[in-house]
Amino acid sequence: MKRRTVRREIERKKFVYLFLAPTFVLLLLFEYYPAVSAVYHSFFDWDGFYVNRFIGLANYREILFDDWVLRTSVANMLKLMAFGLGVGLVMPIFVAEVLFSLRSIRWKYIYRVLLVLPALIPGIVGMLLWGYIYEPTYGLANQLLRAVGLGSLAREWLGDPKVALYALMFMGFPWVGGIGVLIYLAGLQNIPQEVLDCCKLDGAHGIIRFFKVDLPLIMGQVKLNVIMGFIGGIQGFGVQLILTKGGPGFATMVPGLVLYDNAFKYGRMGYASAIGVCMFVTIMGLTYANMKYLKSGIEYQAKS
Amino acid sequence: MTFKSGLSSARRVRFGWACEYVPVGGAIVGAKVGNSRVELAKHVLLWTIVVLTFYPFIFMFITSLKTQSQFELYFWQLVRPFHWENYVFAWARVAPYIANSIIVCAVATTLILVVSSMSAYVFARFAFPLKEVLFYAILGIVMIPGTLTLITRFVLVKRLGLLDTRWVLILPYVAGGQVFSILFLRTFFASIPEELFEAARLDGASEFTSCFRIAIPLSMPILSTVAILNILAQWNDLIWPLVTITSEHLQTIPIGIAYFRTSIWQPETGQVMAAYVLTSLPLVVLFFASMRTFIEGLTSGAIKA
Repeated sequence: MKRRTVRREIERKKFVYLFLAPTFVLLLLFEYYPAVSAVYHSFFDWDGFYVNRFIGLANYREILFDDWVLRTSVANMLKLMAFGLGVGLVMPIFVAEVLFSLRSIRWKYIYRVLLVLPALIPGIVGMLLWGYIYEPTYGLANQLLRAVGLGSLAREWLGDPKVALYALMFMGFPWVGGIGVLIYLAGLQNIPQEVLDCCKLDGAHGIIRFFKVDLPLIMGQVKLNVIMGFIGGIQGFGVQLILTKGGPGFATMVPGLVLYDNAFKYGRMGYASAIGVCMFVTIMGLTYANMKYLKSGIEYQAKS
Repeated sequence: MTFKSGLSSARRVRFGWACEYVPVGGAIVGAKVGNSRVELAKHVLLWTIVVLTFYPFIFMFITSLKTQSQFELYFWQLVRPFHWENYVFAWARVAPYIANSIIVCAVATTLILVVSSMSAYVFARFAFPLKEVLFYAILGIVMIPGTLTLITRFVLVKRLGLLDTRWVLILPYVAGGQVFSILFLRTFFASIPEELFEAARLDGASEFTSCFRIAIPLSMPILSTVAILNILAQWNDLIWPLVTITSEHLQTIPIGIAYFRTSIWQPETGQVMAAYVLTSLPLVVLFFASMRTFIEGLTSGAIKA
């Protein structure tokens, strides 16, 4: 009897590892091996194919002290990310609150559907459309300015080093197209009814209720979005790659594009890997800090 | 108007549960709950946001029906005659990209669902040696930035001889996409009552049968949410196909249309916009086909830290 149980247990466990095999084969091949390989090659002068020479920490020294393009790009990235995180939190939460407070169930549903639609249009189409909006002659932005008599403000938005970065920030205005609103709305709808009733009894309305009740209780979603914003913001370079190539000059250069250019334009894959490792370390640090310092809703509940 | 008079008992019944906490939520924007003027203000605000969000896309559609001179002369308005032939021109060029994107997304997403269901199933239901370690090995992937592995993964697929094939997109998409999918599905599978599996086992079902005949059919809403999130990510991926696909006939939508405007066909603005509209449509159609499950999946609170 006992023997049979053991055998059955082994049989079942064999099954477990069989089920996990495809996942781990793929992870090892396409995630862990490249990650380890990137860290390893960050200590090399490497073009990916032939040249492969160990140079110790020279790549990292260059990143820290010599690469002024990278330094400019980090400053740009920080500005873009600060702005992106700001509006990326405020706008969707605000809209979610308004939606949550709406009385008509039918309209609530209609707005939800409408607001999720832009997320389904390929991101690239959005980017390219904004590229059209910023066009100097037949761009929507300049046409609008001329139409309201402010033609003197018209300019080549993405070609002017003074405004190009701000033009990129403004893209996607009013910054609610996406699933952010839905996620926050879900968070708000999960707030227990008793809590909301208490607010009503205690007279906690408006801003007070938002900061004391709603916000702490959707902290889980906020935290997740902040982490995703960091991870996306630090590495993202799609917009720059398509619309500005980091220019004019280096006005819109970001670290991701510096990495991409070094790897695929200049064949400096070792150096690019070192930049990647720096991003990795930064992301790890920020994720840890986020977990540690942004309290989640549950912790709030337990404390109060 | 006070809160109580704003809601007759008849409406309360008609709207059921949802009505119970909507009015309280109303307190957040205006303290005078039940005030229809406040409600109106909210609608105006929401419509403004909706219109501003949609305007570029509306502009895209209006422009897609114009010739170049119509576009230059009548920039803002929709003018007759409509030039639907822009769509004929655009379709001939972008149809292959759309087909490629659909093939890659369909295969990759199906594989993700199968692979991640299997892993999520065992993580949700069994205790086995190394379980913790293996789970953290999956969780840890979330921290690895895509740009770190971009270069070495490129070198890897080049050595594997996968460059410029469909598999060069599909396999890494499955490898990366399964991570989040496993995390979501595991939570959901864990909530399925153990008795169901017990009953199946008594009836002689293997674990394989239990996974594919019980766990997966019961998880359709969450599976479709996971599927759509994966499709969205793959559909929008720009960098990876850009570096790995060089043949025009294998290219996916993002790169295909990114350089459409400056391509050898020298399309007019209207034709470019028509191409953008066409490439935007497939996911919108898919969404309307699966809207209910998708929104339910998202708003059920499956996505939270």
